[in-house]
Amino acid sequence: MYATPHILTSCLIIVLIILVFPLLTTLSPHQRNSDWPLSQVKTSVKIAFFTSMVPLCLFLDEGAEVIVTSWTWMNTLTFDVNISFKFDMYSIIFTPVALYVTWSILEFTSWYMHTDPLVNRFFKYLLTFLIAMIILVTANNLFQLFIGWEGVGIMSFLLISWWYGRADANTAALQAVIYNRVGDIGLIFAMAWMAMNLNSWEMQQVFLTSEDLDLTFPLIGLIIAATGKSAQFGLHPWLPAAMEGPTPVSALLHSSTMVVAGIFLLIRMSPLMEKNPLALTICLCLGALTTVFTATCALTQNDIKKIVAFSTSSQLGLMMVAIGLNQPQLAFLHICTHAFFKAMLFLCSGSIIHHLWDQQDIRMMGGARFLCPTTTTCLGIGSLALTGTPFLAGFFSKDAILEALSNSHLNAWALILTLIATMFTAVYSLRLIIFVALGNPRTPRSIFQMNEVDPAITNPIKRLAWGSILAGLLITSNIIPLKTPEMTMPDEVKTAALMVTLLGFLLALDLGNLTGHQLKSTTQRPVHLFSNLLGFFPPIMHRLSPKLSLSFGQMVASQMTDQTWLEKTGPKAVTSINMSLVTTTSNAQQGLIKTYLALFLVTITLATLLISL
Amino acid sequence: MRTSQSVRQRQPVNMAVVGFRRWAKALSKGKGSGISALLSGCRAASGGSKDVIPGPYPKTPEERAAAAKKYNMRVEDYEPYPDNGEGYGDYPKLPDRSQHERDPWYKWDHPDLRRNWGEPMHWDFDMYIRNRVDTSPTIVPWPKMCKYLFGYIGFMLLMFYLGEKFPSYQPVAPKQYPYNNLYLERGGDPEKQPEEVTNYEI
Repeated sequence: MYATPHILTSCLIIVLIILVFPLLTTLSPHQRNSDWPLSQVKTSVKIAFFTSMVPLCLFLDEGAEVIVTSWTWMNTLTFDVNISFKFDMYSIIFTPVALYVTWSILEFTSWYMHTDPLVNRFFKYLLTFLIAMIILVTANNLFQLFIGWEGVGIMSFLLISWWYGRADANTAALQAVIYNRVGDIGLIFAMAWMAMNLNSWEMQQVFLTSEDLDLTFPLIGLIIAATGKSAQFGLHPWLPAAMEGPTPVSALLHSSTMVVAGIFLLIRMSPLMEKNPLALTICLCLGALTTVFTATCALTQNDIKKIVAFSTSSQLGLMMVAIGLNQPQLAFLHICTHAFFKAMLFLCSGSIIHHLWDQQDIRMMGGARFLCPTTTTCLGIGSLALTGTPFLAGFFSKDAILEALSNSHLNAWALILTLIATMFTAVYSLRLIIFVALGNPRTPRSIFQMNEVDPAITNPIKRLAWGSILAGLLITSNIIPLKTPEMTMPDEVKTAALMVTLLGFLLALDLGNLTGHQLKSTTQRPVHLFSNLLGFFPPIMHRLSPKLSLSFGQMVASQMTDQTWLEKTGPKAVTSINMSLVTTTSNAQQGLIKTYLALFLVTITLATLLISL
Repeated sequence: MRTSQSVRQRQPVNMAVVGFRRWAKALSKGKGSGISALLSGCRAASGGSKDVIPGPYPKTPEERAAAAKKYNMRVEDYEPYPDNGEGYGDYPKLPDRSQHERDPWYKWDHPDLRRNWGEPMHWDFDMYIRNRVDTSPTIVPWPKMCKYLFGYIGFMLLMFYLGEKFPSYQPVAPKQYPYNNLYLERGGDPEKQPEEVTNYEI
C-alpha cells in the first residue's frame, strides 16, 4: 500500500494536535507550574517543527501533496462547508518555517518576558495565534481560511494591547483591529460572491467553475482583504502602530506570519488572478506604491522598532509586486526567506532595547558591537539579507522578483518605484547599523547592562541567523519553479538590483557624512517632515474620518431620530403644517363684514366660471 | 482644575440604594403577597433627581447661574448650546479639545481619562478620549499636510497612468510571417500581385 499520503496526512494532523495540547491543559483548574511556558509550549512547538519536517522531506523527495476532507460541517443540498486541509507545496513549506521561527521567538520570550506576572497567558496567546495561522495556511476552503484569518486578527489585537494600561497600546490595538476589519469587508464580499455565483467555498470547485466568468469584483474584494491584513498603502498605519506590543509579538506576528496572511490569500487565489489583467495591475501598482512609501517613511524614523516595521511593510509591498507580476511562487519564496531575517532583526532589536532599559531611540544607542557582538553580528547578517546581498536568503527571492520585474511587460513607474525602494532599503539598513552598532555608546547605562550571558538570548538569534543564510539556497535548490524564469538578459538588467543596493549604501554613507556637520539639532525641511510623520497620513485620516463619522453618529442617535419623528414628521409637523392654515382661516374670520362680502363675491365668481366652463 | 467646594457639599444621591431600601421596606410591609409585594415597593433606581439632570435652555440670568452651579462651572465660563431646537437644553458648550491635549503628568482622579471627579463632561466626551479623535496642534498646519499627502497621491496616480501608457519591456522584434506577411491568408486578392515583404537583410 502506498504509504506516503497516510504519513503526510498523519504527520500534519499530529502537528496540529501537538500544538493544541498545551492549550487544552490551560482549561484545567490546576495551577500550572512556573516553567509551563518553556516545558510545555516551547517544547510542543519544537516537537511540532521536527514532526513537520517529515512531510517536508516527503514532498521534496516525491512531490507528494494531499487534500484532506475530514468532517462535513454544514451541508445543504447544494452547498457544502467541510473541514478540509490542503497540504500542498505552500502549506508544507510554510508550516516548518513558521514553527522554526516561532520556536526561536518563544525561547527568546522566556528571557524577554520573564518578569511579567502573566507570562503564562502571553505564551498561551502566542500559541493560539500560531494555531490560527496554521489553520489559515492549511485551509482548503474559504470558510476555514476565514476562521484562521479572524483568529490571527483577534490574537493580534490581544497581543498588541498586552500592556493595556498604556493608552497608546490600546489605540494601536484598536487601529489594528479596525483596519483589519475594513479589509475583512473585501474578503467577506468575495466569499459572498463566490457562494452565490460559484456555489462553493472549496478552492478546487472555485478554480474549476470560475473559468468563464468575469472575476473582477471578487478579486478586488480579495485585494482589499490583502491590503488590510498585509498593510498595503491606504490601510497601512496599523503596522507601525503595532510596535506598541512586546517585541516577541512584533517578531512573530508583525513581521513573519500574520502580515503575510494577505499575500498568502492572494497566492492561494492566484489561479483566479492569472486571467484578470486589471487585478494584476492593481496589485502591481499598489505593491509598488506601498514599497516606496513605507521605505521613504523608514528613512527618517528614530525608533528602532519602527524602522524594522516600515521595512516589513516595504517587503510586503514587494511581495504584492510579485503577485502583480503573476509570480505567486516568487512571492511565497520571499515570504519564507523574509520570515527568518525579519524575525531575527526584531529579536536583535528587542535584545538591545531590553539591555538599554527599554530605550528604543537609535540616537541613544551606539557601540553595541563592543558590548554584544553576537547580537550585532546577527543584526548585520539580517540587514545584509534584507538588502539582497548575494547568496544570503534575501538575495534568492528579492533578486528573482527584481529580475522578473525588469524583464516583464509592465507599468514603467512600478518598475522605477520598486528600484527606488530597493535603494532606500539599503539606506535605512545602513543607517540602522551605523547608529546602533558602530560608533560609541551614547547612553551610560549601556556599558553596565549589555551582556550576552543568557543562552536564551543568543541561541534563538543564532538559529535564525542560520536560517537567514541558508533558507534561500535550500528552498530554491529543492523546489521546481512553476513558471520558467527569464534566463537571458543584459548584464545591466541582471545586476540592476545589486547596483541599486550599492548606490543606496553609498548614498547613505554620503548623507551620514553630511549630517555629521549639521548645525541645527532637528531639520524642518518639508521632505523630512513628510517622511518622519509618515506622509501625514495618520494625522489626516485618524482625525478626519473618525470625527465625521462619530459626530454624525452622535447627531443621528441623540438628535436626528427624535427631531425627525417628533418635529419633522410627527406631532410638531402636524402642528406646523396646520398652523398656516389655521392662521389664514382665523385671520379671515375676524367678524368683518367686508371680508365676508369679499369671500362671498369670490365664491360666486368662481362658481359662475365653473358653471360656464 | 480641582473639584470645587460646592460639589463636595452636594453629594449625589445613590438611587440604587434608595430603590433597594424601598423595595426591602415594601417586601417587609407589602400589602399583597408574592410578586405584587415586590412590584408595589419598587421604584426606578436609575437617573438623578431634577436638580442634577440636564434641564431646559436657561433664559434668565438666575437660570444660567443655577445651571452653571449644577454643572460645577463658574457663571462666566458657562455657555449653553444655542436654543435652535436641537435638544441640548442647558448642557454647557465646552471647547472642542480632546483629552490628548491635557497634561499627562498631572495627578488626575482618572488618569486614563485625564479627568477629575465632578468636572463637566463634553457632549462628545466619548469621541475625545485618548483612543479616538486627537485635536492637539500638529507640527505642520492642516492645509499644508493635506496638500502634501493628496499631492503625493495625485502625483503617483498620474505617474501610474503614464506608466500604463508607456510600459517598460525588454526589446523584442515584431512578429515576422512568411508568404508576404500571409497575404492570401489575410484575405488578399489572389489576382493582384502582393507587395514584396522581406524579413531579412543581407
